[in-house]
Amino acid sequence: MITKDAEAPTVTSAPRTVLEAFGPRRPKKRQRSWDEVPRRQIYLPLGVYLVFTLIPFYWIALFALRPAGSTSLVPWPVTFEHFDKVWTERSFGTYFQNSVLIGVATLVMTTVVALAGGYALARFDFRLKRGFMLALLCSQFVPGALLLVPLFEIFANLEMINSLGSVIIAETVFQLPLSMILIGNFIKNVPPSLEEAAWVDGCSRFRAFCVVVLPLLRPGLIAVGSFAFVHSWNHFLFALMFLSDQGKQTIPVGLNTLMSADSVDLGALAAGGIVAAVPVVIVFAFIQKWLITGFSAGAVKG
Amino acid sequence: MFSTRSTRSSRRRPTAGLALTAALALTATACGDDGSGSGGDKGAEGSGTGRITFWDNNGGVRTDIWKEIIADFEKKNPDIKVKYVSIPAESVQSKYDTAIQGGGLPDVGGVGAAMLAGIAAQGALEPLDKRLDGGPLAEKLSSSMVENVRAAGGGKELFTVPTSANNGTLWYRTDLFEAAGLDAPTTWPKFYEAAEKLTDKDDNKFGYTIRGGEGSIAQALDATYGQSGIASFWDGDKTTVNDPKNVEALEKYVALYKKSTPSADVNNDFKKMVAQWDSGDIGMLSHNLGSYQDHLKALGEGKFRGLPNPTTATGTRVQLSNPVDGLGLFKSSKKKAAAWKFIEYAASHEANSKWNESAGAIPSNTEAAKDKWVQDSEPTRLAAEALNDGDVKIVQLPYYLPDWNTISKADNEPNFQKVLLGRMSAKDFLDTLAEQLNEAQAEWKKRQQ
Repeated sequence: MITKDAEAPTVTSAPRTVLEAFGPRRPKKRQRSWDEVPRRQIYLPLGVYLVFTLIPFYWIALFALRPAGSTSLVPWPVTFEHFDKVWTERSFGTYFQNSVLIGVATLVMTTVVALAGGYALARFDFRLKRGFMLALLCSQFVPGALLLVPLFEIFANLEMINSLGSVIIAETVFQLPLSMILIGNFIKNVPPSLEEAAWVDGCSRFRAFCVVVLPLLRPGLIAVGSFAFVHSWNHFLFALMFLSDQGKQTIPVGLNTLMSADSVDLGALAAGGIVAAVPVVIVFAFIQKWLITGFSAGAVKG
Repeated sequence: MFSTRSTRSSRRRPTAGLALTAALALTATACGDDGSGSGGDKGAEGSGTGRITFWDNNGGVRTDIWKEIIADFEKKNPDIKVKYVSIPAESVQSKYDTAIQGGGLPDVGGVGAAMLAGIAAQGALEPLDKRLDGGPLAEKLSSSMVENVRAAGGGKELFTVPTSANNGTLWYRTDLFEAAGLDAPTTWPKFYEAAEKLTDKDDNKFGYTIRGGEGSIAQALDATYGQSGIASFWDGDKTTVNDPKNVEALEKYVALYKKSTPSADVNNDFKKMVAQWDSGDIGMLSHNLGSYQDHLKALGEGKFRGLPNPTTATGTRVQLSNPVDGLGLFKSSKKKAAAWKFIEYAASHEANSKWNESAGAIPSNTEAAKDKWVQDSEPTRLAAEALNDGDVKIVQLPYYLPDWNTISKADNEPNFQKVLLGRMSAKDFLDTLAEQLNEAQAEWKKRQQ
C-alpha cells in the first residue's frame, strides 16, 4: 500500500511504502550459480541415488553372469551359459524378433494415425470437439484387462487370433489417445501462418504439412514413437492372450515362462531380463535429448 | 482458423491412402485362428487324426520334456500332430477364462486341481469316466489321485486324467544340521529346536524361511494341521480351521517370524523363498518336490535333504492334500478322439515316468511309480511313501469350492501378513477364514441340491 502525505513539504523525506517505514531494505541475497556450488554437494547425493538405483541392475547382471549355484557377490568366473540357454533353448531369439516387429509396427502405426488425428484436433473446429477430447482422456483410465474378452471376440471374428497383427492393432489402439493429444499440442505450437504461406506458394495442405509442419515436430514424434515402442515392448497381457503359437510369442511372455509354478531358473531369468532391457536402454540412450524436449514441450499447452 | 471443408482432390488423397493402408494391414495380418471354440461349443469326435492343440499349464521349465513326449507320441501316431503351447503358470487361469468366454480353447490342456472347479463349473471340460473305463489306463492310475481330481471337479464326474502329484516337503541343509549337532527335523519339536539353534541374526543366519507373500495360506495351514493333528478340514458343515488346537499351532508357527526367519519373509513368494534358501545360510525351507532341481543346482548333492512334513511328538503325520495336476479334454474340441489318444499316451507308464522324473514329482501311473528313479530320488520316494502310508492323515482342502482360490489367496494372504507383523491375532485370522469358508461351503451345497 502506498502512503502519501499531501501536507508534507518534501515527498522524498516520507516513507513511500509500508515496508520502507520499517527501515532500510536488507540487501538481497545473491543466488549462487551452479558453477559456484561445491562439487561434493552435487555429486554426493547423485552418487548415493545412483548406487541405490543400480543395485538391482547389478543383482540381475550378477545372476546372469555367474555360474548356476554360485553364491559369489561378483560375477567371476564369468559365464554366458544363461544367455546361451535363453537365446537358443528357450527361443528368446524368436521372441526378440517378434517383439521388435510388434514394437516397430506399433510405433509406425501409432505415429502415423496420431499425426492425422492430432492435426485434426489442433487445426480444425468441429462439433463435440471438447467431448471427443474428454473421451480420449477418459479412455486412458480403462485397464486393458477389462477389454480383453471383447477384444478377443473381435479378433476371433476377424480370424486374427494367433496373428501378430492382433497385438499390433490392440497396442496401437491403446496408445492412440495419449499420442493424439500429445501430437495435437505440438501442432498447436506451430504457427498456422507458416502453413498458409506455403499454400500461397502453391502447396497443397498435405504438402504444406509434410514440408513445413512435420520437420518442426521431430521432438514430439520421437517422444510419441518411443513411448509407443517401449510400451508395446514391455506389454505382456495382449501377447499372452492373443497369441498361442510358440513361434509368435514375445519377450515378456518368454520371461514369464522361465518361472514355473514351483521352480524358477534365476540365472536364465536374469539373462532374459537383460536381453529384454538392452534394446530399450540403447534406444533411450540415443533419443533421450529429444525425448525430454518432446515431453516437456508437449506438456505446456493444453 | 482453417477451413474444415475442402473440395480439392489432392487433400482427399492422404485420407484415402491412410484408409487403404489400414485396410491392407488388416487383410495382411488376418492369418486365421486355430479352429478351436469357446466354452459353449459341443465339439466333435473327429476321425482320430489331424492336428490337435495342447496347452501346457506350467510352461517354460517343463517345455523340453513335453516336446520329447510329444515327439514320441507323434512317432507312434503318425496321423496326429500335436501343437504345443506353453502357458506361464501364473497366467494360465486368465488364459483359460478368456478362451472360455471368447473362444480359442485348445483340444487338450493341463488343468491343476486348484483351478479345476472353476473351469469345470463353466462347462468347458468333457467328462472322462467312460473314456477312461474302456481304455488301457483303467486300472493303472493312482486311485487316490483319481479321487482327488474327481472331488476337485465337484465329486460326480472326472474332468481330468491325473498325471502327477506334489507333496509338501521340508527341505533342510544337512551340512548346517551336522555342524550344529542337530537331528533331522522329523518331528515338530525337533523342527522348532533346529529353527532356534541355527539362527544367528548378527551373522545373518536363520533357522527357517517362512512364506509370507503369495501362496502363504496353504503353507501356514499345512504347518497348522500338521501340529494340531486334526485330520479333517470339515466337521459337518463347519470348517475346523479355527479349532482352538489349530489356533494354538498357528500362533506357535508365526512366532518364528523375525525370531528365526529373515524379516523380509513377510513378502516371500516361492521364488524369493527358494532363491534365498538356495543362496544363503538358512537351515530349513517348506516347499514342495518341485524345487528339488533348483536346490540340486544351487547347493549340490549331499548338502540337503527333503523330508515329508514333520510328525507330532507322538509320531502322527497329518498333512494337507496337494493339488494333483492333470490333463483335461475340452468339450469344444473338434478332434476329441485324437485328443484322447494323446491324453492316454501322456498318462501311460513310459510318458508319465519320463515327465515326473524330470519334475521330481509323484507319478499318477502306478507302474511308473515303481520305476527305479523313484526309488533313487529320496525326496520323491519319501513323499510317495507318505502319501501311500495308511497311517498318514491327509487333510483334503476344498478345491471343489469355486471360491477357494479367492478365499485362499486374494482374501486372506494380506491378513496372514498382518498376523506376521503382529497387527492381527492368529485367532482373528482363522475366524475370518472360517467364516468365509463356511459361507462358500453352504453356497456350494445349495447349488448341488
